[in-house]
Amino acid sequence: MRRHLFILEFALSGLCRRRYKNLALLVAYSLLIFIISSILFLTHALKREAELLLQSSPEITVQRLMAGRHALVPVDWVDTIVSIPGVIDASPRYWGYYYDPFTGANFTVLGVRSSEFPLKGREDLDPEDCLIGSGVSETGLLRTGDSLVMVDPEGIARPFRVAGVFSTSSSILTNDLVVLKEETIKRFFQIPEGYAVDLVVRVANPSEIDTIAKKIKEKIPSSRPITRTEILRTYESLFDWRSGMVLSMFIGALLAFFIFAWDKATGLSAEERREIGVLKAIGWDSSDIMEMKFWEGLVLSSLAYLTGTITGFVHVFMLGAPLLESALKGWSVLFPSLKLRPVIEVYQLMVLLFLTVVPYMAATIAPSWKAAMTDPEEVIRS
Amino acid sequence: MILHPGIVALLGSSAIVNMMMLYSAFAGLRIIRYWDSKSSSALQLSLERRTYLLSSILSFVLGVNLLGLFLFIYTADDLHTQFVGAMCATGTLNANPIGWWVLGMKLVLFLFSAVWIFLNYLDQRTEDVPFVKKRYALLLVMTPLFVTEALLQLRFFLGLRPNIITSCCGALFSENSGGIASSIAGAPVRPMEYLFFTVVFLYLIVALCFIVFQMDFLKYLLGGLALVFLPVSIASIISFISPYFYELPTHHCPFDLLQGLYGYVGYPLYISLLLGTLFGLFPSLSEFFKGRSELPLRRWQRLWTTAGGISVMVFTAISVYPMLFSSFVLEG
Amino acid sequence: MKYRRFLILLITESLILLGLLLWGHYRGQTEFVRLTGLKDLVTSLMLTDLSIWTEARYTRHPSQTDLFSAFQDCPGCLEHFPSGSIVSVPPHLRRPEEIP
Repeated sequence: MRRHLFILEFALSGLCRRRYKNLALLVAYSLLIFIISSILFLTHALKREAELLLQSSPEITVQRLMAGRHALVPVDWVDTIVSIPGVIDASPRYWGYYYDPFTGANFTVLGVRSSEFPLKGREDLDPEDCLIGSGVSETGLLRTGDSLVMVDPEGIARPFRVAGVFSTSSSILTNDLVVLKEETIKRFFQIPEGYAVDLVVRVANPSEIDTIAKKIKEKIPSSRPITRTEILRTYESLFDWRSGMVLSMFIGALLAFFIFAWDKATGLSAEERREIGVLKAIGWDSSDIMEMKFWEGLVLSSLAYLTGTITGFVHVFMLGAPLLESALKGWSVLFPSLKLRPVIEVYQLMVLLFLTVVPYMAATIAPSWKAAMTDPEEVIRS
Repeated sequence: MILHPGIVALLGSSAIVNMMMLYSAFAGLRIIRYWDSKSSSALQLSLERRTYLLSSILSFVLGVNLLGLFLFIYTADDLHTQFVGAMCATGTLNANPIGWWVLGMKLVLFLFSAVWIFLNYLDQRTEDVPFVKKRYALLLVMTPLFVTEALLQLRFFLGLRPNIITSCCGALFSENSGGIASSIAGAPVRPMEYLFFTVVFLYLIVALCFIVFQMDFLKYLLGGLALVFLPVSIASIISFISPYFYELPTHHCPFDLLQGLYGYVGYPLYISLLLGTLFGLFPSLSEFFKGRSELPLRRWQRLWTTAGGISVMVFTAISVYPMLFSSFVLEG
Repeated sequence: MKYRRFLILLITESLILLGLLLWGHYRGQTEFVRLTGLKDLVTSLMLTDLSIWTEARYTRHPSQTDLFSAFQDCPGCLEHFPSGSIVSVPPHLRRPEEIP
């Protein structure tokens, strides 16, 4: 035990003697782990957030496909669908997108019926009122009482009084929403009478959802039912895909770093060679030198791993991932503030270990063996 | 399907491990052919130097293997949400049954590399390194297994088809793939319980007899029992130990034990299981490989046997604990 | 002794990480309550997607799109189809104010 501690001590002294070289390596290593951990933590947290929230999304949404594109759904499909046993209720949904030329943002306009009105303390929404998400409120500089102007298909500007703004804590769901009354949205988008954008089906027994979706497809062949589990699964793989994609683009950088580590471990300076030669001459065994080299790698890896993980955690969960935001954002003008639930599992930490520390250790095995095989006589003579 | 962080990590590490194993096999072949411990030629010297490299490669491979075993289970668990009907890692493995082979291979390879490291450790304790050729012959057996495992793992991940919304008729798509069996059938409870406790009892008795009487045939008996102990214990975990932890007679999943919901009890359970198996194997293996070397084997074999006995007792204690202290009773 | 300092550093960092994980666990519990409140919003507004990427239909509502809808909106957007990273942005989409 004491012997190992002394070798560790010696390895640390060695690292300190070549302070700047090792510090540069440590910083690069930590930065790499920081970036990868940020990506892993962020996508994982988003995934869990989606999983939790979308559990209460509609059991089935039914769209209509015409010429391979979405088309408006005839409202009388509701009767066909309700007649299927197990269906509690089916209701039309009215929603759409609105491109706002003043801010360059896309809004999602959503119609609600008064019975499902979500704002506490108020009974109903007036036909000229709207509720807006915090993103809409920020980009348009709108507060409660102001009016939001939207241009309808005929080119007439229509003002809507802002009756309320969704709180920022819900921005991951409501950031770009403009909520109108159902009659208002039908009038505004000029949706023909008897049509809706899609239908929402409520099912009593969750285990029957798939069967019912299949029955809907059989009864109405041009429909496209989407079940809740499909929505959840889509989000699951969407975020995996994104983080995997970023990681594979990152493989180049990873490889470059490991080659750098390899090169650094191989290209021993004359001073280092002499040091090892002297150690062997005074009786160190080859396996002791290898152990020293192993400790060097472990010291760097453990410090870099911990530092990278801690900073990654702080970056994602305390600061809201500002460095990744621009990459995630793309063209979106409205982007929610990422206040995510800090959920990390041992799994993320282990994946991180496999992506960084394992290849690093692998890259340093052969060089440290080469160093340990240095012939003392040859070194001291030269 | 490949673009999942866990899968990228697993495939990457298995590529590294395989490159190392192929190199080691190549170097091992040279050692088997040209090794001559009496010689002092340059070739022999370079071979002796090479053994240092190979032993640290193998230690690395062993470590990655053990972590990879857990990472594989974790990844399968993380993926289960993408398959219709899957409840945990079992569902993912059922979605492409090659996964079970991969898991089995990982376990076997872990045992192999542990044995190799063990022999290497013994070898380094002696002057004349008596096991060298046998060790590298073992390495030659292991390398194709590693390659097979990597290929199977690649096929497993390539063959996973997640059920996402890709077509215009989502419901039919989900329907086609059908429900994946979300559980594995356990063996009947009562006979399994008898078998398990008999094996544990025999293991402990033989271990005790060996410690006291030191008879040679007991070592081999113990090794044989250790080899039986591993599959019987895994079957028992599936059949009756895990339902006791979940307090659900229908839940036979051996992987959920590793999750925080059950206090990570799976880790001490599986680690004591692996240790019990390995320490049970060591006395007979060291005897078998020892040749004419002069090692204080007697003393060590007793030590290993004791360690094996303790591991098995820990394993049994953990698995018996919920049977005694919870109100849940499994009828069988 | 350097190894003492190193071990102290290592232990401190591990403790910080552990603390962060515990904090995350604790925050996770309180956040869970907040998110459960948000679930009612999902139910009452009948939402199907998270409002993260608002640039196009298929990024705003990934669960509601088809296989091919990426090309109906704007190639080059951050999206979940691989070809989007190759096709460049059409000129009429570059300056938003010029859209008729």
